[in-house]
Amino acid sequence: MARSRGESVRPDQNPASSAQSVRFVAVGKSYGAVRAVSGIDIAIAPGQFVTLLGPSGCGKSTTLNMIAGLEMPTEGRIFIGDRDVTTMKPADRDIAMVFQSYALYPHLTLFENIAFPLRARRRRTPEAEVDRKVREAARMLGLDKLLDRYPRAISGGQRQRVALGRAMVRTPTVYLLDEPLSNLDQQLRVQMRSELKDLHQRLGATMMYVTHDQGEAMTLSDMIVVMSAGRIEQMGTPRDLYESPANLFVARFLGEPGMNILDGTVAGGRVEGPGFAAPLTAATGRDRRRVMVGIRPEDLVEDPTRAAMLRGRVRTVEYLGGRCLLRFDVGDRLVVAFLPPGADLKPGDDVGLSPKHAGRLCFFDAETGLALQA
Amino acid sequence: MRRLNAPVLVIGCLLGAVVALGPILWALSTSLKPTSRIFAVPPELIPSEPVPDHYYRLIAEGVHWAFLNSGGYAMAAVALSLIFGVIAGYGLSRYPVPGRQLILVLFVGAMAVPGFAVLLPTQIMFVELGLYNSWAALPILYAGHVLPFAVWVTRAHFNAIPRELEQAAQIDGYSRAEAVWKVVLPGARPALLAAATFGFLHSWNDYVTATTMIDSPDKRTLTVALIFFQGFHGRDWGALMAGVIVATIPPVVMFLLFRKYLIGGFSDGSVKG
Repeated sequence: MARSRGESVRPDQNPASSAQSVRFVAVGKSYGAVRAVSGIDIAIAPGQFVTLLGPSGCGKSTTLNMIAGLEMPTEGRIFIGDRDVTTMKPADRDIAMVFQSYALYPHLTLFENIAFPLRARRRRTPEAEVDRKVREAARMLGLDKLLDRYPRAISGGQRQRVALGRAMVRTPTVYLLDEPLSNLDQQLRVQMRSELKDLHQRLGATMMYVTHDQGEAMTLSDMIVVMSAGRIEQMGTPRDLYESPANLFVARFLGEPGMNILDGTVAGGRVEGPGFAAPLTAATGRDRRRVMVGIRPEDLVEDPTRAAMLRGRVRTVEYLGGRCLLRFDVGDRLVVAFLPPGADLKPGDDVGLSPKHAGRLCFFDAETGLALQA
Repeated sequence: MRRLNAPVLVIGCLLGAVVALGPILWALSTSLKPTSRIFAVPPELIPSEPVPDHYYRLIAEGVHWAFLNSGGYAMAAVALSLIFGVIAGYGLSRYPVPGRQLILVLFVGAMAVPGFAVLLPTQIMFVELGLYNSWAALPILYAGHVLPFAVWVTRAHFNAIPRELEQAAQIDGYSRAEAVWKVVLPGARPALLAAATFGFLHSWNDYVTATTMIDSPDKRTLTVALIFFQGFHGRDWGALMAGVIVATIPPVVMFLLFRKYLIGGFSDGSVKG
């Protein structure tokens, strides 16, 4: 499994920030005989925005809950800064968490909700300071005129902001965000995504974010950790993951639509399969080895010559405004490609396509699914 | 169809009101009449010369102490049943208690057992324990009667309160106990008020347990004290009715104040459990 780590401290990190590093060392969690997550090794630098990305049930929320202290790992250690917090109570970890449901206290006003962490006995914050900090957070989030309201009397987007306000009012060492945008409609989600990005840059805080929405992960993150079936598939910058997926899972999971994957066999410096022949750029060893070739839909261009890498028959052409989504059959595989909006193709046409550059091709071992390095 | 039914409905409601409120109004009327006018013919619903004499008689006989005893017993029973009910309801809601379903069935089964069926063994047990005729006897027994309902209704409410609220409070810097106190209990206020109201009404209205477990006049409840106005040589109707009116006031006030929670609490317990 190939892993790369982006551990640089953000250049725009707020020097006054209390951001700390987070480290998972061989962390695992089992429920009886069921292993929910295993072999989690992640190092997050102070101020980084890291996203745990994966399909439902892949263990990303369990991983987040283990940092929060809501779940205890059954193996491994977790560190926040220099502190080993593996068995520490949630209240002692100095973290803040935004839940998917926001978890606002329904019997408290927005002011009281945001002030709630400051009024914990362990903090003994003077009431004047509570008032100042709450109003400051509310002003940052555009909630200053709503502070007397109860959560039931505000919109979903405002609730999400209150949850963020409650998290940021006490400058925690780490922010944990568990799918905080998933309950919002598409328009609001995009807006809140930008606001979250701004907030991260302003606070310079270490943030761990859980989502199954790759769009959120790609736009927000300094580093993405892709998870599947309780294991880390790959971690790295969004660009690394998108352009150099470590395995077939990541290749298919990232991208909308995901990477096209074609079955082929190595023969004379090429990978050949039904309807395609791709120049080999990765070290694949012997001839007749089974190899999977991957290419992103946007990396394909129409190629009317006989040298086209892919030849197939058009199934559908979807006009998307700025471009067309072409779906065509190559052998028994459905391949998708983004073409210019003026592409003159219709269902049933024969079509040839090639990659923009041979370097855009990815190769995977057909048995292990792991990427083959050039 | 609706126009035909409306008058029938009104007449039905009026009849129901007469049946339900008639005895109370008649008791109020009797309690304000001079003794000589109680059986006057024709009967008077509104006394021509209302007098407070029967109420003075209650005080002269020390019934006000029995009133306070009833209130004290009921409040102590409510406090006990809420404390233990909340702890048990929370435990059954949040912890993986082995045999949880069986425990809940036992609680419901306990509600179905009529109190008088276990009265005699309870009396013998209390005598052995030295609790018979003590100030603690009735609060303990009333709390025991109310506890299954309190557990049932609070558990149903705790189940409906998202666990994330407690987790959020813990992350915000509170201990689990503080999180329950600050977040879970305020969220379960309707259930607590329902259990408290039910417990108060049950304790206040009890006669059988109180007359079996308490012997001393100074520890009597109001219901027991009033029975002494039914003498061997005839009843003191005026004082008895005054006592009935006094005894009716706290439950009515409680019901009016908390009826929303009482009805809601019952329905929650029945559908969410």
